[in-house]
Amino acid sequence: MDGSSTLHWPAADFSRVPYRVFSDRAIEEDEQQRLFEGPHWNYLGLAIEVPNPGDFLVGYVGRREVVLNRNKDGSLTAFVNSCAHRGAQLVRRLRGNAQNHICAYHQWCYATTGELIGVPQQRGVKGMGGMPADFDKAACGLKTLRVETYKGLVFATFSPDVEPLGDYLGPKMRPEIDRIFDRKPRLLGYFRQRVPSNWKLYLENVKDPYHAGLLHLFHVTFGIYRPTMSGRVIVDVARGHSILRTADIDEKKSDVDSAYAGIDKYREGYRLQDPSLFHVKPDYDDKVTNMIMTIFPNLMLGQVANTFQTRHVRPKGVDAFELYWTYFAFEDDDATAVEGKLRQSNFVGPAGYISLEDGEAGRLVQAGIACRPDDASFVEMGGRGKIEDIASLSTEVAVRGFWKRYAEAIGGDVGGAAE
Amino acid sequence: MSAAAMSPDAHAIDPALAARVAELLGDYVAAIDDDTLEAWPELFVADGQYRILSRENVALGLPAPLVYYYSQGMLRDRVTALRTALTYQYVYTRHVTSPPRVRRRADGDLEVRSDFAIYQSTEEGVTTLYAVGRYDDVVTTHEGRLRFRRRDVILDTFGIPNNISVPL
Repeated sequence: MDGSSTLHWPAADFSRVPYRVFSDRAIEEDEQQRLFEGPHWNYLGLAIEVPNPGDFLVGYVGRREVVLNRNKDGSLTAFVNSCAHRGAQLVRRLRGNAQNHICAYHQWCYATTGELIGVPQQRGVKGMGGMPADFDKAACGLKTLRVETYKGLVFATFSPDVEPLGDYLGPKMRPEIDRIFDRKPRLLGYFRQRVPSNWKLYLENVKDPYHAGLLHLFHVTFGIYRPTMSGRVIVDVARGHSILRTADIDEKKSDVDSAYAGIDKYREGYRLQDPSLFHVKPDYDDKVTNMIMTIFPNLMLGQVANTFQTRHVRPKGVDAFELYWTYFAFEDDDATAVEGKLRQSNFVGPAGYISLEDGEAGRLVQAGIACRPDDASFVEMGGRGKIEDIASLSTEVAVRGFWKRYAEAIGGDVGGAAE
Repeated sequence: MSAAAMSPDAHAIDPALAARVAELLGDYVAAIDDDTLEAWPELFVADGQYRILSRENVALGLPAPLVYYYSQGMLRDRVTALRTALTYQYVYTRHVTSPPRVRRRADGDLEVRSDFAIYQSTEEGVTTLYAVGRYDDVVTTHEGRLRFRRRDVILDTFGIPNNISVPL
């Protein structure tokens, strides 16, 4: 195929992104092999979703269905959801509890660890048929993945070589994960969106603080997020992760007036008849109003106002993805705190005042780039050249950081005029 | 969660009341499908509740709502935001609803259940099935008119086609 082998990155600093990466089916194949089944850790879920022995859930590694299991000894196993015999889908419910998994087709039976433990008619019937004498059950287990957890976040990889999860997450991301997951989460529910755009357009979106203060009137008008607040972008260039962090401190009214002069997204006169959804006591006293972390390749984890969630970006073909939200509170939250998080779900998710607009942004870009598929985007806000941390939200540097890491994983010819 | 069956002490109602319930449900659909959204909050009592819930979460006993408005003011705020603030795709909508199942509760309010399918049509006139689900309502009499005390929209289509902008 002519996927990434003919991909050309016009600028070495990734300030140009060829639109082909959002529409080319051959590149989609390369992503499955080199990203999701390559040397990277893929998010499967939270450990609290499979608390008891036998609990399982079906997740995704790229397009592959992978089943996460809690074993009898408390350990976790992940296996590809396909019988070792003739390939049938093995686990047929998204979630549940089972001491073993039996294939519906021929009743092959597997332990939660993926080991094959039963084959009907192995020795034949009435002395005839059956498996050959040298049939070895131990060699016919399910295809398993490496599984590791960090602070209750469960990841899996097909790669025998990738570094341990803690190192993969790295020293720049771990403190922000710890800030949230040092408390035990309590599951509140799931949201699912089928967004009509390539999955990477969502990664660009959540690495782009520039849009957040311009697309989202609610962010701006109600002070959840403004570029005039104290903010920074932290990029782990080697690993492809990033953090956008905003705290409501040191903001000057004169800066807001200047940044939004002539822009209709900051409306001093805009009032809610019932603003009680803003009257929620924050969990932390650090005044952080927005923290969006992305873990390469396709996990977002963060905080918007006083809501906390993971968002798993699941490719569903080249021009669609599922955004799978896992929305949680904390075990030490009292009833008032949980109620506050339910009220603030009105900001996020597919119907939320902020997040619904990100789905629309994805649709608009996918539709727009179809008009000029051989062109490239222009990503220079925050400057060209070196990709590094910046104490500003007026930047797209984390977007360039994503593409740099992506190109290293996928390939293509990198070069061009910019340094 | 409110996905439970109708109350065991519920009683059937007379045809005249059933017709008034049907009118309320029809007014609701008209407010959305005719794009007269300003009429939508007025169909609720002042402390009325409107939620959109994923059937997946309801089945799992998980409380996270897709939308959770607990006052008429919040409904009006949504309309204002749709009219003046939010960025979303303009589409025409069409509700197809089942006849309601109505029972009177011991406290006098009505429990009303109905099913819906909502189609969306683009500005180029291309129609897709957007959402399927169930309305689970509590209807009360306020100043001589029937009004929603609560409407829960329980979505079978919880894999939301992109996003939810106008009310369902």
